[in-house]
Amino acid sequence: MKAKKKLVTSLGILFLLWIIVAVVSVFTGTYEMNPFKAIFSGDEMLRTIYFQVRIPRVLMAAVAGGTLAISGAALQALFRNPLAAPFTLGISGGASLGAIIAIRLGLGETVLGFSSITIFSFIFSIFTILFVYSVSKVHGVVATGRLLLAGVVTNFLYSALILFIQFFSDFIQSLQTIRWIMGSLDIVELGTVWKTLIFAIPGCLILLSITKDMNLFALGDDVASSLGVNVGIMEKKIYFATSLAVSAVISVTGPIGFVGLIIPHLLRMILGVDNRIILPCSFLLGASFLTAADTISRTIFTPIEIPVGIVTASCGGVFFLWLLMRMKKEIIV
Amino acid sequence: MERIIEGQDIRFSYDGAEVLRGINISISKGRIIGVLGANGAGKSTLLKILCGVLNPKSGNLLYNSREIKYVDKREAAKRISYVPQNLTFGFPFTVAEVVLMGRAPYIGRFEFERETDWKVAIHAMETVGIAHLQDRLVTEISGGERQLTSLARAVAQEPEIMILDEPATFLDVKHKTEVMRLLKRLKDEKNISVVAATHDIFSVLFYFDEIILLKDGKIFAEGSPEEILKEEILTAVYEIGVTVKKENGKIFVLPME
Repeated sequence: MKAKKKLVTSLGILFLLWIIVAVVSVFTGTYEMNPFKAIFSGDEMLRTIYFQVRIPRVLMAAVAGGTLAISGAALQALFRNPLAAPFTLGISGGASLGAIIAIRLGLGETVLGFSSITIFSFIFSIFTILFVYSVSKVHGVVATGRLLLAGVVTNFLYSALILFIQFFSDFIQSLQTIRWIMGSLDIVELGTVWKTLIFAIPGCLILLSITKDMNLFALGDDVASSLGVNVGIMEKKIYFATSLAVSAVISVTGPIGFVGLIIPHLLRMILGVDNRIILPCSFLLGASFLTAADTISRTIFTPIEIPVGIVTASCGGVFFLWLLMRMKKEIIV
Repeated sequence: MERIIEGQDIRFSYDGAEVLRGINISISKGRIIGVLGANGAGKSTLLKILCGVLNPKSGNLLYNSREIKYVDKREAAKRISYVPQNLTFGFPFTVAEVVLMGRAPYIGRFEFERETDWKVAIHAMETVGIAHLQDRLVTEISGGERQLTSLARAVAQEPEIMILDEPATFLDVKHKTEVMRLLKRLKDEKNISVVAATHDIFSVLFYFDEIILLKDGKIFAEGSPEEILKEEILTAVYEIGVTVKKENGKIFVLPME
């Protein structure tokens, strides 16, 4: 099938999937399973649950899942490696540390109208990408081993710093931090969704505008350059846009792991590796995936809600190992 | 003869180590030019400079009488195609997808390939002889087939000059010959110029119009194959003894034992 037709068909199917998942999610939960009663009965309590808790939460899950998945796909294109993702590269860790520092410093809520937490997250994310990319790329080639090690070590370092900050926090602050680090969507209101979108939309749009360059980049820096790609600018766009998108999400939800790893990979198995198809489709499938995972996390131990980060990280960890074992053909140095 | 590329006193260094030390080069339309020299002589660097991937540290490089740094990258990509020595594919693209990437300079940022782009790509695959592989993944085919895929991608670019870094390294004798014949055909039919780095001093005689012999970042000798394939020149460049024999008007190069 030609690329354009494939893209349009896949987007159609995935959008439909998201609608179904979102509708199911909105009407699933600890309270009230009957959709009609929620909408048509005059029960204020029910209406509040649906319109001020559940719908914002489903929207946030979609934005967060979509943004993390598309960022993962972009990072994989940049590193030319399917194991690159916000979580494995330590970018999520960096964003978390930035956010925690901002929270602990008690910085004002906003700087020029933007959340200071997001700005701190962004600074730490972009620094992490630059660092991991420069460490793992040797003579124009990214070595899988160096990439994973750089990511793991950066993550360790950030965890240590986060623990250090926690050590000097009082009990309640500490508990909040731990809860936040698990990654969850339970503190969401409609305003939070908009605040996230302010950063996430430009980030995603920048990435979507360079998918063709990402394909050419797969053929190597030199070939991409000889085909008209300004490789330096493309790389900078990916650093900037993924940092923006990832920190927008993580500063709100905490680090939700492995969405950016699983989703693009699943799509590549079905649709091939063309980034013009993989990136936009990743957004939609990521949205559905995180919405579904969040629904599970809300309902699996009813009435207790577990953080969605636990669900995605446990799926993702197993998936990551499976992926690593499948990669045995490639040389891991 | 119409000149496409003209370079004067081109110099280049990596981390202070000078790789090219003042190269003068001129490439005319419809010529097949071989760049020979021992490993580390600066062949790959010279090719990357000629196609605009690297910028010379000093010296002038004119492309159709314009300085290459002022030529728009996408415009340049419609005229110069490049196949590196070490091929990267990054992800398991299909052969057809890779060849279609050669059409990228002709397609807008948010556009997809048109019917004509497909036609050109399929024609390029037929020309190179890999049309039967078009739906296979580049990770599943042989090293030689990957090399032919890259070559087809460069052909699909419809360039006026192709710059190839050891295009036949992974190919067996039959395919090697076919590639050289293909380049000759492109030259004859479309007046394309080819600049190819090669270690194959044996095929040089049959297919190349001009030879540039590099030694330590400088041009040691240049001229027609007959002028270059001389015992004293080859011995000086490769630092092994060779015998050059003439029989029935054909030249043979043999290593001396």
